[in-house]
Amino acid sequence: MTTPSGATIRLEQARRLYHAGQPDEVRALDGVDLTISPGEYLSIEGPSGSGKTTLLNLLGLLDVPTQGRVLWQGAPVERLPERERTRLRRTGIGFIFQRFYLLPTLTALENVELPLQARGLAGAARRRRAQALLAQVGLSDREGSFPHQLSGGEEQRVAIARALANSPQLLLADEPTGELDSVRARQVLDLLEEAHRSTGAAVVVVTHNPTVAARAARHLTMRDGRIVTDSGGR
Amino acid sequence: MNAGRWSSRWRSLRHRTAQTILAIAAIGAAVALPVVLLSVGGGVFSHELSSIEESGFSISIDSAASHGISNAHALTKEIDAISGVQAASPMLSVPVDLFPPGGSVVPVLAEGVIPAAFLETQSAAERSLLPSSLSLGDPDDTIHYDNGTYAGPSSAQLLLSTPLLQTLDLTSGTVVGLSPSTNASAGSAFTIVGSFGLPPGLLGPSPLFVALLPLSQLQSLVGLAHSPTGTLLDSADSIQIAMVPSLAASPSGVQRVASEVQGLVPYYSVTSLTQQTTEIEGAEAIITGFYVGLSSIGLIVGLLFLVIILLRRVEQERQSIGIRRAIGVPGWMVARDIVAEALGLTLGGVCVGVAGGILTVELLARYTSGTISDIASLAVFDPAELVLLAIALVGLALLASFLPVRRALRLSLPEVLR
Ligand SMILES: Nc1ncnc2c1ncn2[C@@H]1O[C@H](COP(=O)(O)OP(=O)(O)OP(=O)(O)O)[C@@H](O)[C@H]1O
Ligand SMILES: [Mg+2]
Repeated sequence: MTTPSGATIRLEQARRLYHAGQPDEVRALDGVDLTISPGEYLSIEGPSGSGKTTLLNLLGLLDVPTQGRVLWQGAPVERLPERERTRLRRTGIGFIFQRFYLLPTLTALENVELPLQARGLAGAARRRRAQALLAQVGLSDREGSFPHQLSGGEEQRVAIARALANSPQLLLADEPTGELDSVRARQVLDLLEEAHRSTGAAVVVVTHNPTVAARAARHLTMRDGRIVTDSGGR
Repeated sequence: MNAGRWSSRWRSLRHRTAQTILAIAAIGAAVALPVVLLSVGGGVFSHELSSIEESGFSISIDSAASHGISNAHALTKEIDAISGVQAASPMLSVPVDLFPPGGSVVPVLAEGVIPAAFLETQSAAERSLLPSSLSLGDPDDTIHYDNGTYAGPSSAQLLLSTPLLQTLDLTSGTVVGLSPSTNASAGSAFTIVGSFGLPPGLLGPSPLFVALLPLSQLQSLVGLAHSPTGTLLDSADSIQIAMVPSLAASPSGVQRVASEVQGLVPYYSVTSLTQQTTEIEGAEAIITGFYVGLSSIGLIVGLLFLVIILLRRVEQERQSIGIRRAIGVPGWMVARDIVAEALGLTLGGVCVGVAGGILTVELLARYTSGTISDIASLAVFDPAELVLLAIALVGLALLASFLPVRRALRLSLPEVLR
């Protein structure tokens, strides 16, 4: 698939405007160039409203830039139909959200099975894989629990298991510890680091928290829709 | 899918019980209406059709005004001669007064017939209610009505309907008076020689007190034998014509005979059974169309309800849908789940509606009285019609999911996941 030197994802002069051309136009991203290589661990910091989530949405193919290009493993994707971007998200990208976003009507195990089912994996094989993933995040005993029966830390660990289900090349986390106390936050960060090491996936963590950012090897800072510092990269 | 999926589906359904009940009730009500209308309407029409078919004669001549077919005996003979005619029977129906022994007066409907021919024009069902031969002493009505005169001896015999016989507590052999007016002396005496049953008349009133006697004797009694000037009238009000069995089932054969008969009597109305059947079937098609139209209004309201509930659910679940889309669940899977939900609600509604419709008709038939009960008890539930209705609803359900599916697939993920 990718040669070691080929980028996992690359933004070229990416610009994202809201209400473009209207008086209340917002330049959420204003010409961002960014290359993320396989296996990188990268943090993004910046004040509220500086465009961190907007950037992450472009990297996760949840959104497309108003101008500029997005290259996924070398191929432009900003004009692909939604169906194709959905396929790339399914096979290549894992998401971890600040508010966990588990499906409330599914058990922990069923939540982890969801991306496997979307990929067409069925029956016992799917169940076994989901069980192994839950074991990996230390929640074997909570398979049948519903999200509302789990603590915040446990919910986020289920979300990590779900994000890892289809062995993504890119893991995106937006404030993954924003709603957790420091003990639980450390557990989640350890798991993320462990996943990074064992799968070789590139990891991008958006955070306000310096101790979270400190785990990364490369640090970006954003202001007003631009990347203002980029340090520690290879 | 697997058990886990279904149990989760069931759980999410329970979360929204009130909505589910509301949707199923709305669709159920929309379905119950056509079930009731079509089953009852179809039942009434098929009853009408079968009662026409059971009436046995396949062509009938009616005079425009009552008592208008003169020279009935001669005309009947001419019709008898047409090939394909099995029997022709003139009839005269006149209300008269009956005077049983003891001095009371009872209004009855007197039917003057040619006994043998009358029997032949009756259906098997009606014949079973009559004596095996109408023993009125004059099977061809030729003794009294002799070559166009009323010179022969009168048999002076009659048959009475069973309800009349029972009500008046009369028996065979009793002599009663029959008169066109309340003045007994204006009439003459008849001997009761037997009784006959009456076919059940569900729609419209049917006379219970009926007397059957030879045509010529009724004509003499009520003054329809001769005009005031003394010329011969020999009057009847209708002539019923039975076809030979090989023709009875052939509409074109019946039609040919009917037009030959019409040629004999251009001034009377000649109707054939096939014509009547066609008319009733035409009316049924119109009424059914009306019912379907009326029902579709109900179904459209049910459909709109379903669309609104599905849209609400998409709105309530926009985050869940967004999460699923974000982690790569294909659009068709999201669409499939919405369609499955629409189908589930619709099929639930169909079951409730069909059961409710059948129950309504059943209750109407059992616990109401009079016409409503009579009509309800005629209802027929045509399985093919019910299946068609269910298929139509499945189609509507697919239609109803279109908008909600589109809304779900057009959710903006960054907005939903903010
Ligand atoms: N759907 C939208 N419509 C209009 N403006 C938007 C929309 N989404 C984001 N914005 C604006 O774009 C800018 C960048 O938003 P973004 O969510 O990327 O910031 P952020 O760095 O993630 O902030 P935070 O740290 O608070 O999460 C902000 O000014 C925000 O108000
Ligand atoms: Mg943000």
